[in-house]
Amino acid sequence: MALPNQQTVEYPSFKLVIVGDGGTGKTTFVKRHLTGEFEKKYEPTIGVEVHPLDFFTNCGKIRFYCWDTAGQEKFGGLRDGYYIHGQCAVIMFDVTARLTYKNVPTWHRDLCRVCENIPIVLCGNKVDVKNRQVKAKQVTFHRKKNLQYYEISAKSNYNFEKPFLYLARKLAGDPNLHFVESPALAPPEVQIDMAVQQQHEAELLVAATQPLPDDDDDTFE
Amino acid sequence: MATNEPEHEHRDDEEAVANEDEDTGAQVAPIVRLEEVAVTTGEEDEDAVLDLKSKLYRFDKDANQWKERGAGTVKLLKHKNTGKIRLVMRQSKTLKICANHFVKPGMSVQEHVGNEKSCVWHASDYADGELKDELFCIRFASIENCKAFMEKFNEVGESEEKKEESKDASDTAGLLEKLTVEETKTEEKPVEKVKTEVEAEEKKKGEPEKADEEKKTEEASPSA
Repeated sequence: MALPNQQTVEYPSFKLVIVGDGGTGKTTFVKRHLTGEFEKKYEPTIGVEVHPLDFFTNCGKIRFYCWDTAGQEKFGGLRDGYYIHGQCAVIMFDVTARLTYKNVPTWHRDLCRVCENIPIVLCGNKVDVKNRQVKAKQVTFHRKKNLQYYEISAKSNYNFEKPFLYLARKLAGDPNLHFVESPALAPPEVQIDMAVQQQHEAELLVAATQPLPDDDDDTFE
Repeated sequence: MATNEPEHEHRDDEEAVANEDEDTGAQVAPIVRLEEVAVTTGEEDEDAVLDLKSKLYRFDKDANQWKERGAGTVKLLKHKNTGKIRLVMRQSKTLKICANHFVKPGMSVQEHVGNEKSCVWHASDYADGELKDELFCIRFASIENCKAFMEKFNEVGESEEKKEESKDASDTAGLLEKLTVEETKTEEKPVEKVKTEVEAEEKKKGEPEKADEEKKTEEASPSA
């Protein structure tokens, strides 16, 4: 469901509502899919940010309008407007903070009050952290309420595609739906301007001395 | 039996598959009906002359720092007709494009200071469907892979220049494919399709290998 000022697309699109306590990694997760970056800095989301996320599947291109909501609702839950016309949802908690899991039922209740019978994925984020407070065995809420559960890590990309894949399969009623390579179109020819080129070379020299954000992991998931 | 219970903390591919198979979600009615479509990669008329696992970063000039762009497979693709080379990188799992640009004459890749597994370059990138000037840094799992990438990238730039001067495209092609042979031999996990293609090529031509070896030692010595 697109916002009035958002461009509509001619391929199937879905409103995806992402909820959960503040600091569980909702924005980081969305950003990871949008630009590839992993944002370490915590800046609480205010209200909601809607990001279109496209995926290429064997059944064509699809789009999720990700409603990345504020988890820090000091003013008592999200207004119904955020949930309304939600077609699928992700409830996020942080496996290193027990309270965020304890609050999952509240988020689920608020969500289901507005959105009935939509596919929902429960995500336990930050599973890359060694000292977990919520072990996989202790996560049982999804069984009681018939949600799908994934352990994810926005940091290591562990299972990071699974929530979208699951929701896409449910929305299309196709268990065999899968992601495919998007067409890599031939880039247009560019005329190289020598002056501009020299500026890039200078910038590159500076950039080459800057360290990478994560030098420790070589798995490239 | 308690002893047979899988270790839940332990995460590997097998467990990931097991988790994925278990659908505990409610039965919900689908809201769209999607038909299977023909999938095009856009790479059909190209051959991979390099194919390596890596992690890509773009430089955020405002923040003056490198930011992750994606982790997956970087390829150098050579067009079957025009001989043009481009770099295409896709994110693993989602298979989305994180880099897509030609490797042109005059372009070169340089070492990333203080990290022998990574290197940097500038390109006019088309990953998002619009041209954007980007400073890229790519990191490989090994120094060897990084060297292989740098050699090939720089060689492509040079050989494209050569081709434009002398129109001797076949030599260039031989040289490039030879390089791939070198690499698939040293890599632990060579890419099948590249390998077979290259092996066939290997039987056809025997000569460019020397040129290739000379190049390698030439370029290896200053960095050592």
